[in-house]
Amino acid sequence: MSRTNTNPVSHPFLLLLVLFAHTAMLLLVMLSFGLTVEVLKLACIVLISDFIGAIVLQFVAQEACTVDTVLLLVLGMSTIYQSCFGGLEFALKHYIFGLIAFLMCQLSYVLVRNPYRAEKLKPLWYGCFFALIATIFFLTGSRGIWIDLGFITIQPSEFVKPVFVLICASSIRTQLRKSELHGWHFVPDNLMLLFCTAVIAGLQWYCRDLGSLPTFAAAAGCALLLRFRYLREKISVRLMIVLIVGVIFVAVMAWHLAPAYVQDRLHTDIWSDMSGSGYQQVKALTAIAEGGWFGKGAGNGTLVNVAASRTDIVFSTICEEWGLFTAIMTVVLVLFLPAAILTVPPRSYYHSGLALGVAAMFMVQMTLNIFGSCNLIPFTGVTIPFISQGGSSMLSSGIMAGFLKAAQAPVLTGRSAAQLRKGGRA
Amino acid sequence: MPKVPSPYSGQPAQQPRIIQVPPLDVSPPRSMRRAGRGTALLIAAFLLALVYLVYVLVTRSAFYMAKSGQTGYGRVTDRNGDVLFDGTKPMSDYEAGHFADVGNLIGDTSGQMSNTVVSKNIELLANYSFLYGKNSGTVTLQTTISHKATRACYNALGSKNGTVAAYNWKTGEMLVCMSKPCVDPALGYDNIENMPSGSLLCKAFAPTVPGSTQKVSTLIAAYEHSGVDAVNALEFTCEGSWVNASGGKINCHNPYGHGTQKLNEAFANSCNPYFAQLVQSRMLPLSAVIETYTNMGYSVNGQKAEPLLMNGLTIPAASATLTDDTQFETQWGCLGQGKTLVSPFQLMLWQGAIADGSGSAVQPYILASHTDIENRVTQLGTTARTKPFFTQAAAQGVKAVETDNAAKHYYVSLGEYTCGVKSGTAQIRQEGKEYENSLLTGFCLDDDCPVAFCVMIEERTGNDISNAQLAKVLLDALRSEGIAKKAVPASTAAGS
Amino acid sequence: MDLTALFERYPYLREALTAFAVIFVDFCALIILIAAGRERRRGDRLWAREGRGYMLAMGTTFFPLGAAEILIGRHPAADIRFDDTEISRFHALLTLSNGQWTIEDIGAQNGILVNGRRITQPRILRQNDQIQIGKRRLTVVRGSGKDVTA
Repeated sequence: MSRTNTNPVSHPFLLLLVLFAHTAMLLLVMLSFGLTVEVLKLACIVLISDFIGAIVLQFVAQEACTVDTVLLLVLGMSTIYQSCFGGLEFALKHYIFGLIAFLMCQLSYVLVRNPYRAEKLKPLWYGCFFALIATIFFLTGSRGIWIDLGFITIQPSEFVKPVFVLICASSIRTQLRKSELHGWHFVPDNLMLLFCTAVIAGLQWYCRDLGSLPTFAAAAGCALLLRFRYLREKISVRLMIVLIVGVIFVAVMAWHLAPAYVQDRLHTDIWSDMSGSGYQQVKALTAIAEGGWFGKGAGNGTLVNVAASRTDIVFSTICEEWGLFTAIMTVVLVLFLPAAILTVPPRSYYHSGLALGVAAMFMVQMTLNIFGSCNLIPFTGVTIPFISQGGSSMLSSGIMAGFLKAAQAPVLTGRSAAQLRKGGRA
Repeated sequence: MPKVPSPYSGQPAQQPRIIQVPPLDVSPPRSMRRAGRGTALLIAAFLLALVYLVYVLVTRSAFYMAKSGQTGYGRVTDRNGDVLFDGTKPMSDYEAGHFADVGNLIGDTSGQMSNTVVSKNIELLANYSFLYGKNSGTVTLQTTISHKATRACYNALGSKNGTVAAYNWKTGEMLVCMSKPCVDPALGYDNIENMPSGSLLCKAFAPTVPGSTQKVSTLIAAYEHSGVDAVNALEFTCEGSWVNASGGKINCHNPYGHGTQKLNEAFANSCNPYFAQLVQSRMLPLSAVIETYTNMGYSVNGQKAEPLLMNGLTIPAASATLTDDTQFETQWGCLGQGKTLVSPFQLMLWQGAIADGSGSAVQPYILASHTDIENRVTQLGTTARTKPFFTQAAAQGVKAVETDNAAKHYYVSLGEYTCGVKSGTAQIRQEGKEYENSLLTGFCLDDDCPVAFCVMIEERTGNDISNAQLAKVLLDALRSEGIAKKAVPASTAAGS
Repeated sequence: MDLTALFERYPYLREALTAFAVIFVDFCALIILIAAGRERRRGDRLWAREGRGYMLAMGTTFFPLGAAEILIGRHPAADIRFDDTEISRFHALLTLSNGQWTIEDIGAQNGILVNGRRITQPRILRQNDQIQIGKRRLTVVRGSGKDVTA
């Protein structure tokens, strides 16, 4: 074992750091609430989860532990946040979804860690994609985005995200497979991607909910850019200008041609309608101002009484109780997940596509959420990955974290890396 | 990968053994870093945006708090520390009528008035800072207003209504901005129905009929087009009334006529026929009037003009309708009647530009300093200049004519000051009522009283205070306040 | 332990503690990220095992095979690029799968010779195999690293 386990920073040490970080936060909670049973309960659950996480990760013999460790850290923090909003009550549902998200991450890792297999399964992803679209179209009614199963509501549009990322990624082999139709050469995979993007845009238009369209558009844009890059050494200045002008043109056209309900969102002056359409944002901004740099203390917030305080305006809720400094640091922490591929580059085209797609999804989602709730861009109901409450969002984010992990530790053989590490010969 | 130089050839196909074994290198090729580069770009953009977000949140947080009514408010004081608005205690605690002359300028947090110092600068008044939280101290917002001079003017008006606007044309400090009738915020708004109309509005900012003070603008147009000397030499005859090219009749306020006059006499006499003939003459084509008016900030014939701004307070642009210089309506407009509307503030500002002699004025400001909850003082007032309203030659020309007018005709009332003035009488027809407003705009050149002003007395009749007397009250009060020096923050003043 | 009284006595104590805790949390996160940087070395070792430590040699020039797919051709985007007219823009694709490197013709006009024979379908590469692409001759070699088992 000593011969093969050559990582200079061992897993137990990293997980000890997670444990320290959570302990620091729990001490802060204790400062607010005193040493009560509820605080002890929260502390026990979070710290024991960390322990169990550490043991599980040790058993499954990790090839790359960054994503897992950051995920453990973020999920624990998120559980602490969600348990403290407006008074201490253990956020059991959030915690359970966090656990499932962690498992989902491992599952999706196993599913896509072999890039060839993941890409070979593309017809399956297309199937999932259209099945989900059909579900949204037929099951949730034309104007809703939720399926109510009684004990849990599922938001199928959230699950479209990881599937869409799987569709976005593409290998060079696929890009070299060209078809010809009436003298026009094209790559079927690219055409399919454009078609799927169009389907999503159409569906969102139909559902009158264009909120998460930028998320998909960004992922598709990044994927297309990456595909261009497979075939071009350098994007010429002229092409770049054409692209930028095109994007600006489309944005301006969309701005002007947007339907009335979108126009309303774009032109709302929240300060002139403080009790109406601007209510949430006014409350959110006031909460940030009240919180200041270091917040009012865990559990002392009042924003929790405002609708969507745990989802769409969760950034402000954290700001109010923990302070702007903490909230920004938390957001940066979530950024560490996609940033992991900066240190360990992917080893295959398909995986690099996955990583960039997930990065785009996460980043745009956070941008829409944070800047929307702070009134810098139109307010849309999207979530911050892992921080916002909401099962569907949590699970789909977990799945996407699995993609990131796959990009870190690809497996190209039928056997796991653990077997390789034990000295197996090819 | 480095580009490989020229190929080698002639090597036999099977010679594996000569190849030296290299150290193992498994670094990923460049193409694998593209996703990383994309991610780095996304993260960098996001972090930049976050920095911007923090900046916005920190700088705007006081506004958020004030807007949502989450904080207490501090005080607004005049230039000498006299309280003009107090958010820390009921304003009824002050002596009765303490705020009765500044209520519609300073305003309050009741939300009844929108174009006031308080409502436009509410974020500066919130007892809040991002670092220290709310209500841990009291902020003070010092204005450049002289409460004493305001009160003097208010009292001098007696039973009359009117407005007074005055500023230091050298430093830009707004000194008096009084509008009567005025709401008293200390009394509340329970009888808002019974308040005299206009109580909630600072009329110094509201465009009104300028009367003959408009002749200043028309004269400037003539100077700019034909030159000062040529216009000064012009002679026209007034016989009490004059019939223009299209048959319209322009009456003079003197039914017996002023006879043949030169410009400075006609200006002093405020002779309508003289100026109507000037407008119709070749010395002043309509296009020249429109050009000058537009440069001065008028909205001519419905064209968009930028409103004036002073620390968030909005002053609507002046407006005039000029279609044909032989028509009665246009000539009447150039004489300050008919559809022409100018705010007293604007008249005052032009006088500042004339007194300055350069054609551009010093930008007026009303906020002097801000003392935050930690007693840190920020100076808010900076002396800046407006865009040029008219040419330097025109400014000098009008300055001479106005000074001449004051010296010859106002030595009784304003004799102790070196002044330049132009009077005006505005005929108002409103709600079936006809009355005349008496206006006086001008400037004082004395070093201890560099003031540009505009006073207006509404519905003035023979026995009331004259506009020149009101101006003297204003100048006396301001001179005794020592307004030649800039206002200093209270804490600094106490320390020195 | 009466914290409320303590906080009232020292008004900025809570802020200081919060700041400390938060900075500590992010310090931990930073260390995790640095650890990820070091993880790269370990990733390299695993890759060396996956890819059997193979490299391509051309005379004294060596090309690492650091990704699952390596594109050889004249195109500027190719991972191993030869600016020769005999070489197609997209000439050959090396693929690693199940611990074996495969070479494949992806539309090369002049074809690929492995050990002197032109290949028509994907061919598994072994140590010391000679690949000829245009005028270029590449040899499959195994890099020497202490960590390479086998």
